[in-house]
Amino acid sequence: MTNTEKLIATFSDALTLDASKVTDALTYQSIPEWDSISHMVLISRLEEAFDVSIDTDDVIDMSSVAKAKEILKKYNVSF
Amino acid sequence: MSEIISLAAANQHLQYIDPGTGNSSGISEMLAPSACLNAAEKKLAFLYLDNSVSSIAAFWNFFNSNHACALLSSSMKQEFKDSLETLYQPHFIYDIKRESVDGYTMEKINSSLEIFISRISSGYSVHDELKILLSTSGTTGSPKFVKLSEKNLVSNTKSILEYLPVQSSDVTPLNLPIHYSYGLSVFITNSVKGGKIICTTKDILQREFWSDFEKYQCTSLAGVPYVYETLFRTGFTKKKFISLKYMTQAGGKLNEKLVDVFSQFAEDHNVRFFIMYGQTEATARMSFLAPEYLQQKKMSIGKAIAGGRFEVDPVLHELLYFGENVFGGYAESWKDLNSYRQELPLHTGDMATVDAAGFYFITGRIKRIVKLFGNRINLDEIEKVLNEQFHDSSFICTGLEDQVLLVGVKNFQDDEKIISHFLHSKFSIHPSVIRIKQVEHIPLTDNQKVNYTKFMEQHGD
Repeated sequence: MTNTEKLIATFSDALTLDASKVTDALTYQSIPEWDSISHMVLISRLEEAFDVSIDTDDVIDMSSVAKAKEILKKYNVSF
Repeated sequence: MSEIISLAAANQHLQYIDPGTGNSSGISEMLAPSACLNAAEKKLAFLYLDNSVSSIAAFWNFFNSNHACALLSSSMKQEFKDSLETLYQPHFIYDIKRESVDGYTMEKINSSLEIFISRISSGYSVHDELKILLSTSGTTGSPKFVKLSEKNLVSNTKSILEYLPVQSSDVTPLNLPIHYSYGLSVFITNSVKGGKIICTTKDILQREFWSDFEKYQCTSLAGVPYVYETLFRTGFTKKKFISLKYMTQAGGKLNEKLVDVFSQFAEDHNVRFFIMYGQTEATARMSFLAPEYLQQKKMSIGKAIAGGRFEVDPVLHELLYFGENVFGGYAESWKDLNSYRQELPLHTGDMATVDAAGFYFITGRIKRIVKLFGNRINLDEIEKVLNEQFHDSSFICTGLEDQVLLVGVKNFQDDEKIISHFLHSKFSIHPSVIRIKQVEHIPLTDNQKVNYTKFMEQHGD
């Protein structure tokens, strides 16, 4: 599985959302499925999937799928 | 005129601020002449709210009328809205998410308030005392409402104002939904005695919330345990908030580690931290722990609020509460709206002990509920619905430490994920907190009742 596939699968699972809806443009709170509850699930699932420890500030900054990629790059995950 | 409205209208410092535009308005400007909504017959209104200024204006206009209002989340799924409206047949609906509602006509009450009015008059009566209906379980679509009177609200507001340091120079962010009892109590107490209220639709996981917090120099923050977990995870306690004066916590037991973390934060930053206890059936609040006892009486729910009183049942150890803020019964459809009967004491469903100094401690739970992310989930209801949906299988449900919904299932051949997906779509429970265990048989007690204790011992690890 490529990192992009892994990212989409993690989003889809944490947000209980069809993988086809996980696009770069998707943002926090733009759909009912991405709320504060699923966001915290998402953060811990991303940490598990990519074996990283996400910084406190990044938890809030991860406000879109595109942002998630950008932030994960800081942790040496390449897309 | 409503006593709450009189108090809020007399509060000259009260300003509702829309952080998006920076505009502010007082309560009097929001109110259309009450004749616009008043009718000879008392009716039910469904208000689907967020925390925006327009939702607040809708709330006050209905509160100012002679009708009863059910406060609901505007982000509730449409199918839940439909089923609630079928059960309750509200005469009025306020919902900015919809352009039209079948069987209703849209009417403009004033420049900023549009509502739907039923074309046919509902044929049921609404009890004189009934003022507010609150859901017991947030956005899960459960039809069970708590019936509250204005007297309940007035009484609880006054008790809360006796101990919380609410004052006219305050700036209060509405970070909890106002359709939720705790959020409503923050909103009403501050409308009565506070100052600026920041009507935000942003949450604590959004940068805008924190930039507004800074910009308006907010003085308090309220949260259920889940909010405190999130604050901790996002580094709140490592920052400084110069304007922050006090914080409150309610809506379930905060774990000991976070009690320590936030007590320390409070001490370091000269913030008062109030741990409180209550439930929707008591309007909101029943007790609080004064901040000076945070360490000495750690994990205590403190003492009853002014005007309230606790007792512990000597046999079951159930915590019982007496006070004017106790509700007037549940409603499950419009048929229950013609009654309002307060029964004392309130059976909290929690077990408690009291120490020699009069501080109460919750020791367990009798009521079959689990609180997930601050939302109350009725375990018997979940069990019943699962047994109906998958009738070839048998189910047993319990909660683990308000963290997990544990579902035991016998004779289920399909993928277990079907069960979590079903619970998610039906009750909006996030699958990450659902744990499913296949069982050989449902454990029973000697008198053939489901043995939840045994089930927890076997599978609750």
